[in-house]
Amino acid sequence: MKRLAFKFLAAAAASTIVAACAYAQEIKLGYNGDLSASPSAQSGQAAVLGMEAAIADVNAAGGVLGRKLTLITRDDVSQPPKSIQNMSDLVDNEKVVAVFGPTNSGNAMAWKHIANQKKIPVLGNVGSGTDITKPMSPGADNYMFRVSMVDRQQVAALMAYVKKNAATSKVIGLMAETTGYGQGGLKDMEEIAALQGIKPAAVERFGVGDTDMTSQLSKMKSAGVDTVVVWAQGTPIAQLIRSMEKINYFPLTLTSWAADNITFYDAAGKTLAEKPIFMRTVSETKTPAQQKLFDRIGAKLKAPGSFSFALHGYDSILILTQAIKQANSTDGAAVRAALEDLKAPVPGLLKTYDQPFSKTNHEALTAKDLVWIRWKDGRLLPYTDALIGSLASADFKQ
Amino acid sequence: MVEALLQALISGLAVGGAYALVALGFSITFTTTKTLNFSHGEFVSAGAFIGVSALFLVLGKPFDSTTFGDAVPGAGGQLLALLSALGVMGALGWLLYVLGVRPFAGRPGMAWVMSTLGFGVILQSIGLAIWGPKPVVVPGPVGDAVIRFGNVGVRPQELLMLGVAVLIMFGFDRVMNRTMVGKAMRAVAANGNVASLMGINTNAVMIGAFVISSALAGLSGFMLAPIAQASLFMGLTVGLKGFSGAMIGGLSNPRGCVIGGFLLGVLESMVNLWQAQWREVAVFALVILVLAFRPTGLFGKKMTEKV
Repeated sequence: MKRLAFKFLAAAAASTIVAACAYAQEIKLGYNGDLSASPSAQSGQAAVLGMEAAIADVNAAGGVLGRKLTLITRDDVSQPPKSIQNMSDLVDNEKVVAVFGPTNSGNAMAWKHIANQKKIPVLGNVGSGTDITKPMSPGADNYMFRVSMVDRQQVAALMAYVKKNAATSKVIGLMAETTGYGQGGLKDMEEIAALQGIKPAAVERFGVGDTDMTSQLSKMKSAGVDTVVVWAQGTPIAQLIRSMEKINYFPLTLTSWAADNITFYDAAGKTLAEKPIFMRTVSETKTPAQQKLFDRIGAKLKAPGSFSFALHGYDSILILTQAIKQANSTDGAAVRAALEDLKAPVPGLLKTYDQPFSKTNHEALTAKDLVWIRWKDGRLLPYTDALIGSLASADFKQ
Repeated sequence: MVEALLQALISGLAVGGAYALVALGFSITFTTTKTLNFSHGEFVSAGAFIGVSALFLVLGKPFDSTTFGDAVPGAGGQLLALLSALGVMGALGWLLYVLGVRPFAGRPGMAWVMSTLGFGVILQSIGLAIWGPKPVVVPGPVGDAVIRFGNVGVRPQELLMLGVAVLIMFGFDRVMNRTMVGKAMRAVAANGNVASLMGINTNAVMIGAFVISSALAGLSGFMLAPIAQASLFMGLTVGLKGFSGAMIGGLSNPRGCVIGGFLLGVLESMVNLWQAQWREVAVFALVILVLAFRPTGLFGKKMTEKV
């Protein structure tokens, strides 16, 4: 009996050692973002689906450095304290090689110092706040990268359009909600307008929960504004367009990408939803490669519009994989250096990333990679006119 | 310019209608029990979701759906949803009184403030667990096409809300001043013990006040949902603004409360016409000013402490 127990113990110990070895061989990646709490959770879930698909593909092709990738997800319920706690947990306990996320820009700002201190590369694939990828101090090593939309890049493109559209956009108005998101965007808009030599005739603000913005719009109307650029979340943009209908005043309306949210479409209704023009990283017309991913994960997406985040997620894994290969190591500093100087192009689903990052540029997607979008029959379709075709790199000032 | 002013006036009245209804709800419990339901805003949100859930059920969808899609409920369905919002919220008001107010009312201290606040937090948490944080776009009972007077536009639901607020104000005013029930309510408010000695069932009157006030919150939520979208956070601002409206007009005077609500709505709209970022400052500066010079509100009766 005693012997049997010993044998059993020995077997258990042996299997633990084998498991531990397999464990050590895996390269752990972390995801830290909202998966359940706020409307942005849909975006986080989509990003994770895309990342899991990419990891499955990489592993099927033999993994990286002969090791398999594995993803550890942590839900931050959109709360900064929880997000900071997740970050420490992923880095110190789980010993991840890199972190992806978060969904809320504010949370990235809350823990970017951790990534930089611990030298853990972060590839953002949802949050769009301009300041996330800025270094902690000028010239310092920066571990924050991004494969997603960037607020300032959108503003740069919108303002380039307004400038080039001088024939019909003579009097410009700016509008923003009074939240951090709105005011951050307004600052970007005012700065880039100044760079382009555009003088806004009116600047108006509204509350995120307002149901009537006719007063602000009346002021725009009497100032003769023919083009208005709006920075706000989906629902308030919808209320703004509904207020435009009340006073029958429809200037050319360019907005932040929040208008792609289904809550915007629902609230504005089919006809009014087709008024604004905005930008995304992808439209609903997909390339064959994008369609293939959509066929794999589309059924699991909570909102079809969130598929763009699955693409960001997929591509961010491919870029990191390439950097680990080039560095021939999973050491944070080596991977960061490789990310900033990728020798081989990475064929992603959104585009082929040819030297996506450098020491000073940590944005894989820039203004010229974005697509112009307008709702049409309930779908996010590409919008184009003669002017958009003629926009060149030199037109984008930031 | 005249056009802009007219538009601001009508838009302000439309927003003020919501504030007025909420202000009335505060006034009803205050005039009878000298207590307030500090979670009136959460009751508004809850009322909206009870109505929305009823509409979903009428359409044969699960009650916790998140979108109506293209489905538009008929008049019967809307009426049923309204009745369920009134009924469920009325019952919740009764529960609030029994659990959160009666044990503390009339005693020294402010225990009922905490217990009504807590009731709201519980309500919101349960709501989040059931319906989640996503707002629901709700089709209104009177359609969504803009009604125009010249170049001034307003949505039918906003006019309806305005009309309902005025109607309820007159109805309530009449009940309070012309009927026995109203007399009993005023008697309880003036002196509960004496009223009780005169054969008035004070307990029933107080329960009634909380039931009516909460049903009114349900009505506000139901009416507001097609304008602002149903969300569990929608009641927060409206509750605060409604309370401010009641303070400006005078908590003890239902007519004053409604006028205060409308006044606040128009003030906001006019400030938007000037500098929208100063709106909240202007609103609460007005509340403080009114309280400083007329502590019982613009239309409230002078409070005289008898010694």
